[in-house]
Amino acid sequence: MSATLESGTMLRTEQARASHRLAPGATVVKWITTTDHKVIGNLYFITSFIWFLLGGAMALVIRAELLSPGLQLVDTPDHFNQLFTMHGTIMLLMFATPLFAGFANALMPLQIGAPDVSFPRLNMFAYWLYLFGGLIAAGGFLTPGGAAAFGWFAYAPLSDTAYSPGAGGDLWVFGLALAGFGTILGAVNFITTILTMRAPGMTMFRMPVFTWTVLITSILVLLIFPALAAALFALGADRRFGAHIFDPDNGGPMLWQHIFWFFGHPEVYVIALPFFGIISEVLPVFSRKPIFGYKTLVAATIAIAALSVSVWAHHMYGTGQILLPFFAIMTMLIAVPTGVKYFNWIGTMWGGKISFDTPMVWAIGFLTTFLFGGLTGVILASPALDFQLTDSYFVVAHFHYVVFGTVVFAMFAGFYFWWPKFTGRMLNERLGKVHFWMLFIGFHTTFLVQHLLGIWGMPRRYADYLPEDGFTLGNQISTIGAFLLGASMIPFAYNVWTTWKNAPRVESDDPWGYGASLEWATSCPPPRHNFDSIPKIRSERPAFDLHHPEAAPHGYLAPTGVGAGAVKDAPDTTPETKSTDDKEN
Amino acid sequence: MKAMERIGVLIGVFAMAVSIWYGIWTASVERDGIEWVGVIGLFMGSLLGFMIAFYLWRTRIKLPADPSDNEAGEIDQIGGDYGFFSPYSWWPLWLAGGAAIIFLGLAIGWWVLFIGVFVSVPALVGWTFEYWKGPNAL
Repeated sequence: MSATLESGTMLRTEQARASHRLAPGATVVKWITTTDHKVIGNLYFITSFIWFLLGGAMALVIRAELLSPGLQLVDTPDHFNQLFTMHGTIMLLMFATPLFAGFANALMPLQIGAPDVSFPRLNMFAYWLYLFGGLIAAGGFLTPGGAAAFGWFAYAPLSDTAYSPGAGGDLWVFGLALAGFGTILGAVNFITTILTMRAPGMTMFRMPVFTWTVLITSILVLLIFPALAAALFALGADRRFGAHIFDPDNGGPMLWQHIFWFFGHPEVYVIALPFFGIISEVLPVFSRKPIFGYKTLVAATIAIAALSVSVWAHHMYGTGQILLPFFAIMTMLIAVPTGVKYFNWIGTMWGGKISFDTPMVWAIGFLTTFLFGGLTGVILASPALDFQLTDSYFVVAHFHYVVFGTVVFAMFAGFYFWWPKFTGRMLNERLGKVHFWMLFIGFHTTFLVQHLLGIWGMPRRYADYLPEDGFTLGNQISTIGAFLLGASMIPFAYNVWTTWKNAPRVESDDPWGYGASLEWATSCPPPRHNFDSIPKIRSERPAFDLHHPEAAPHGYLAPTGVGAGAVKDAPDTTPETKSTDDKEN
Repeated sequence: MKAMERIGVLIGVFAMAVSIWYGIWTASVERDGIEWVGVIGLFMGSLLGFMIAFYLWRTRIKLPADPSDNEAGEIDQIGGDYGFFSPYSWWPLWLAGGAAIIFLGLAIGWWVLFIGVFVSVPALVGWTFEYWKGPNAL
């Protein structure tokens, strides 16, 4: 590619040893100028987790406000509106979506045996756009009128300047547009990397399932985020420059809802598919079996992504102006590939030698929680039932089961699983279990009862209710659960801190012992350009083949072609080190 | 790589089929009429799928076979100079900062936007020419 380059800036061996402690200022410079996908992944993790805590704190204020009838905590219902608007915005677009980018950055190049991503500077640019966009959108809290208060889907005409004046809404619109461009550029980078930088032998159908989900999710991002950008710029033009694109006189409300949900529904799959991928990585390792039905799992991922762009208006049943049978059919169809995935996951565990390490416990927590959300999803897909339940707490319960079930449970499964790969230290198992059970019980206490509240008629997004509504007990249970859920972050934070200080460094490449994909064939954490040596890739689990050659595909150890043996030096990234290569001279 | 071409075709065909199906069906509902957002959105999604497939197909027949797609591929096959990776760079921060000020300007006022342009243009030039003279960052 760049054969003309002469200097040795990219000496992998030198970079690999450059892990000595830096002065604090040098560390800051290193992090803000980095082009290393692993460091960028860490930046995404840290930033999105801080947003998760902020969004969670807002959720706790919302829940505390709803503990009893009357307004106790917020001054006006508008403050409540700001809280749930920014809670939704933050959790969807500043936590879950960038968390996908974080896992993709941290793992995907390792899993395909690449030294970095295709466009390292673009990668960093995407991160900064996300960070600055998020700060601009949430900066509305600092304006006199407060942050955006029109709900995270900003329905017209509520989101126009007549009903939502103030800079908070403007900042929300343009901040999200900026962050959206970051997501698009990140997706371009992931697709290019997966298509062009796989190691020899890493065919498309040997890629880990997580890498597959990154690829499919990135394509989905390219399909839908431009629609969001268009909608936001049009809304911005309405708000700032007096355009009338979403003016009710021109049919604007339906236009907004169609464009927004054309983005908004597949967005749910953008934040679901990669986390399905994480589960698909965790389950085989702790079931001591290869993933069951690899190709059907890939096919199901593609099917879910394709179907997800044709179901958007099921969020709009209540408008009465959409083609109900079409969207009901397509929505229910999505249950089929999702069911295939469940079949595969259970098939992976079936007959396996299951080991209940913390990542596995989180993965099973995901399976149970997400299943509930999927079942209520099929209920809501039916227009006749949705007319009764739309905009009630039943819907709130449904999407929290779906989104929290996938994103948060799978995030922690991924954190506990890959923590040694990211940091070089294992997290504490006992604290991990405490964390899990507090969060699991807290979550289900919070949201299970909300199904009932919805059926009893409690509408979503109301700051208050009356004692005679009969919602008090349900809300009290929910609020107690929410605070238990919030408290579960304490053992996690303590776990991170104490293992950072005290845990021994991981010496082995594969501390879990049965890791399958290529990231378990390099050190913890990996060197600057990821691999000092890459094993031969002859199946979809090259690291497992390397560490357990007795179970590898037939002929794995037989010498073939140019080089014999299972492990090969990683390719050099500069001509300088080429002289050590045995093929040269 | 061929798998990705097939996925592109699959997206193209699926989105086109759904676009036509949805368009005809909504057009047949007299009260609301054809719903253009979905028809156009799916049509453009279909074009994206076909574009991916077409580009990858043209690229594949132009380039030699990729060892990544060889089931018996050996790591040695990509030995030697693998490519250039920027070791670190200040420009993403500057350019994203400039872009953020521009977007902030759209939300707040034109004067902020001009500051953003003032930051972005040198950042863009810096980014573009960072490795103009070789791998050592300017």
